[in-house]
Amino acid sequence: MSVQIEIFLQTLIAGLLLGGLYALIGIGMTLIMGVMKIINLAHGELMMVAMYIAYWLFVLFHIDPYVSVLIATPVMFFMGVAIQKYLINPVMKVESILPENQVILTVGIGMVLSNMATIFFTSDYRSTPVDYASNAFYLSDYWRDSPIELSLSIPWTVSFILAVIITVSLWFFLTKTDTGKSIRATAQDKDAALMMGVNVERMRVVTFGLGAALVGAAGCLFIPIYYLYPALGGKFTLIAFVITILGGLGSTIGAIIGGLILGIFESMTATYVGMGWAPVGRFVIFIAALIFLPGGVAAILRRHKLGK
Amino acid sequence: MKRLILTMTVSLMVMVFTAGLVAAETLDITIPLPLTGSKAKFGEIEKRSYEIAAEEINAAGGIKGKKVVLHFEDSQGKPEIARAIAEKIIDVKKQPFVVGAYSSSCSKAIAAVAEERKIPYLVVTGASDTITRKNYKYIFRMNPSVSYYTGGLRSFLKKVVKPKSVAILYESTDFGTKGAEGMVKDAKKLGMKVVMKEKYESGAVDFKPILSKLKSKRPDVIYMVSYVMDAALLMRQIKELRIDAKLFAGGAAGFAIPEFIENAKDASEYVVTATLWSPQVAYPGAKEFAEKYKARAGKYPSYHGAEAYSALYVMKDVLERAKSWTPDDIRDALKATDIVTAFGPVKFEDREGYQNQNFMDTLVLQVINGKHETIWPEKYATKKYVYPIPKWRDRR
Repeated sequence: MSVQIEIFLQTLIAGLLLGGLYALIGIGMTLIMGVMKIINLAHGELMMVAMYIAYWLFVLFHIDPYVSVLIATPVMFFMGVAIQKYLINPVMKVESILPENQVILTVGIGMVLSNMATIFFTSDYRSTPVDYASNAFYLSDYWRDSPIELSLSIPWTVSFILAVIITVSLWFFLTKTDTGKSIRATAQDKDAALMMGVNVERMRVVTFGLGAALVGAAGCLFIPIYYLYPALGGKFTLIAFVITILGGLGSTIGAIIGGLILGIFESMTATYVGMGWAPVGRFVIFIAALIFLPGGVAAILRRHKLGK
Repeated sequence: MKRLILTMTVSLMVMVFTAGLVAAETLDITIPLPLTGSKAKFGEIEKRSYEIAAEEINAAGGIKGKKVVLHFEDSQGKPEIARAIAEKIIDVKKQPFVVGAYSSSCSKAIAAVAEERKIPYLVVTGASDTITRKNYKYIFRMNPSVSYYTGGLRSFLKKVVKPKSVAILYESTDFGTKGAEGMVKDAKKLGMKVVMKEKYESGAVDFKPILSKLKSKRPDVIYMVSYVMDAALLMRQIKELRIDAKLFAGGAAGFAIPEFIENAKDASEYVVTATLWSPQVAYPGAKEFAEKYKARAGKYPSYHGAEAYSALYVMKDVLERAKSWTPDDIRDALKATDIVTAFGPVKFEDREGYQNQNFMDTLVLQVINGKHETIWPEKYATKKYVYPIPKWRDRR
């Protein structure tokens, strides 16, 4: 019995930690989705770029990946701003047969980024060999006679806590500051915001920068627990996409809950169904959300007057 | 006196001249290799290795005084082109033997031609079981077939670990599935119970759920078929969860390359893995070859390189022993081969349904003090194996 409890709790911990990081990846995409009504399909590639920044900072200057959050995040912010200003905005203004050609543009940006990474950094797998990569806290070290043994990985926990801190500060930024409020106004009703004197175009630029910065931070947090290679983006774009749909397009709090649900669901699938089924589980959630919960988690929250 | 000096000079000149003539005589060997296409990487490794061997042989006086000149023909990794190359080598160039090719499919195509024309063919790196199971008389193979890759690991398990149970984790690809199936068969032979056999999605971030489940089964051996980054993550998370098993074993190349240790760090300690060859192995000439190769290419060669390098030495040995350089005499000499090369011992035997197959020992490596060391078979060991391995809690 205690064995079963141990497996369950360990799986739950793993799912929560993973979910927290997933949420951070998802929030960036959901923000961009909310304000610009487009899915940024270069999201995972932006994360990849941030991971390379963190990687090289570690290799060349021995800067810990957690410290590089402070460097990579602003860099990614400006990169996001540049992408929006010089690539997406001009395309938005052009009349075209396809209304979603900005989405196609992001696909192109993603391809360019990952191919450039292949050219410059080769397709080798890399990871930052930080010393604490496999250190962990153990329940039995603190409670000698514990009937079950649980472990809490140090880098996973630190990454999770930082993800929570970043998410909370984002929350404050969006609810308490003028810029934050303007972003939310733009997301809710672009035309009304425009009439209220919000510089919508500028908000778009800021939002894209913010989204890129968030996923950049997520990249730095992933580096101590994962590895990187140029083609890694697609995988995380997909995860972010599932979270955005699950959370309700454009809802920040929805994305947080969506990320946690996906993380826990994946872990539980791995333990109780089989790890080979994890990708299947991801798509089951995706389709189930589209069919049964078109508004995502945000719709439920709105029904209970919780969300913003 | 003058005359004498003159005669001496003339005779000396004649001698030098004839010696020069003899040395100038060449032995042309044409080798089919995939030099373009998706398998070009391995073709390149082998080409470089053949060249190193040829240079060494020539520096030491060639084969029976003949200078070896290598020519490479690009098979593009396609069997039909490989077959055409083999026909050209045999019919046009009248070479009395064939050596080389990389993939199993190309080797098979060449083997069919060679057998038909009664020309001996030394297969290099083609690993499919069937090549040496067709009752061919003229086909010889240096490397063990794919079913024998884990032979060394099996004997290590049988003689040292004596496990009762095994858990198998493998990536959900064709390669991973084959590896896992092979282990299930091995487990049956060794009397081990397979307590868990689970596949995972390659590239997964978190293996802890599956590992927690594995922990509850308490297997003696944890066997993983993974590529290098999954391998490193698996071992890191096994360490995190403090899963103690009698042995952690890797079933594929992912565990045998230096990147595994770089990424898994101390979690990689004491992990064993099966491999055909490694630059650290104690075969004569292996280290020298590996260093020479590294000096040229910037990194250590894989077993493909060592095998190609040694294949030329096998041919040298065979040609020196052959009564004459006719295909049948070369075949007889090949059959009688019994040497130890940088790739390992080479001896072609007929047994277990195979013909002219080299049943060399495959190696077991263990990570000891952050380095891959050969631990099995004991006669080639560079270090004594560490077993039983310490529990995670007691490490450090």
